[in-house]
Amino acid sequence: MNENPQRVEEFREAISEMKISHPPPAVERAYLWLGVIGVAVGFVLIVMGYNGAATTEFTPEAVSYLISGGVVGLALIVVGVGLFLRYSMARFQRFWLLRDIFEQRAQTDRIIQVLERIEKLDIEIE
Amino acid sequence: MDPRQPSEANARAAAMPPELMQDPLLELEAVTAAYGRIQVLNGVDLAVPAGTVLALLGPNGGGKSTTLKVASCQMEPTSGRVKIAGRTVNGATSEQLAELGVCTIPEGRGIFANLTVRENLELATYTGKSLSAIEDRTYSFFPRLAERRHQLAGTMSGGEQQMLSMSRALSSDPVLLMLDELSMGLAPLVVEELYAVVSQVAGEGVSILVVEQFARTVLGVADWAAIMLGGRITRVGPPGELEQELTAAYLGDR
Ligand SMILES: Nc1ncnc2c1ncn2[C@@H]1O[C@H](COP(=O)(O)OP(=O)(O)OP(=O)(O)O)[C@@H](O)[C@H]1O
Ligand SMILES: [Mg+2]
Repeated sequence: MNENPQRVEEFREAISEMKISHPPPAVERAYLWLGVIGVAVGFVLIVMGYNGAATTEFTPEAVSYLISGGVVGLALIVVGVGLFLRYSMARFQRFWLLRDIFEQRAQTDRIIQVLERIEKLDIEIE
Repeated sequence: MDPRQPSEANARAAAMPPELMQDPLLELEAVTAAYGRIQVLNGVDLAVPAGTVLALLGPNGGGKSTTLKVASCQMEPTSGRVKIAGRTVNGATSEQLAELGVCTIPEGRGIFANLTVRENLELATYTGKSLSAIEDRTYSFFPRLAERRHQLAGTMSGGEQQMLSMSRALSSDPVLLMLDELSMGLAPLVVEELYAVVSQVAGEGVSILVVEQFARTVLGVADWAAIMLGGRITRVGPPGELEQELTAAYLGDR
């Protein structure tokens, strides 16, 4: 089945073209934190914007407070929540997948044990 | 390091023979790896030249399985590089590599116990091969499996299960094959049968990394052997030269 050396050449090419996109866990954790910080800073900005806008009598100044505090803060929160969900879900799902595999194996073992017991009974009856 | 094992703690990394470094298909460079805070690989350097069989040997807990996990990208090294066909593949997934032709048979079993032999082989058709082609090849390697094609895989003997998991691996047309303790818990005769197939596959040009604890049969098949102690490769060389040292390593008088 292995048509060497073409197969090996193909393999080398495929490896050199392979996209390595999976970030190492350390990078993933960094993004997760970036998300959390983004949300926190966003809230602070909104509160500051609100304070600024509420304490000035001058409407144009209030608008600029609202834009730099409110809108930027809101954007940070949206992006931060996005990052957090993306990377916390990735970790969570990987964990879930592993658990699934483990449980499936345990189930299988139990089924086989029962089958073996039934087989033995069958033999005894015969 | 474990203070109760001074001989392992003092184990020094071996220099690799220059022949090993010519066009390696798999290469590990100063790889360290840990489970949690416990470091189990302490700087592993290893190379498998294209088209050769390298046997990685050594006593329990030396880090052989961990080395395989890192080499197949199932586990991230804490430092160092994993290179396949000359490219650094740190951060790639084991699925990606498997798809391209890096195949690992893990310690224990890699088959579905609640499916029949034939159904297990059927699952291997996802690589695009026809079931009949896979069956033909499997039964030519292991005639015994032909008789058992409708039996549940989990109810077969350990040796037969190992044959099945090898068949599944081979059906994916691998270029680099990694085997972990093929002989675990099997009778010597069965082990010989399995290694005859390994040798046949190697003859087709597949590069193979085999991990074993006890080595008689492997050494006959391998082009190179490496001894692993305390998370380091302590010796690499031709199998013949290593046999004696290996005995010493097991007896602990290093
Ligand atoms: N999942 C794990 N979590 C924590 N420690 C682990 C894990 N797997 C292995 N270890 C530890 O890492 C060390 C190396 O294990 P590894 O399985 O690589 O050894 P090995 O050389 O394959 O041994 P064996 O010949 O018994 O299979 C051992 O001390 C082991 O206890
Ligand atoms: Mg092991």
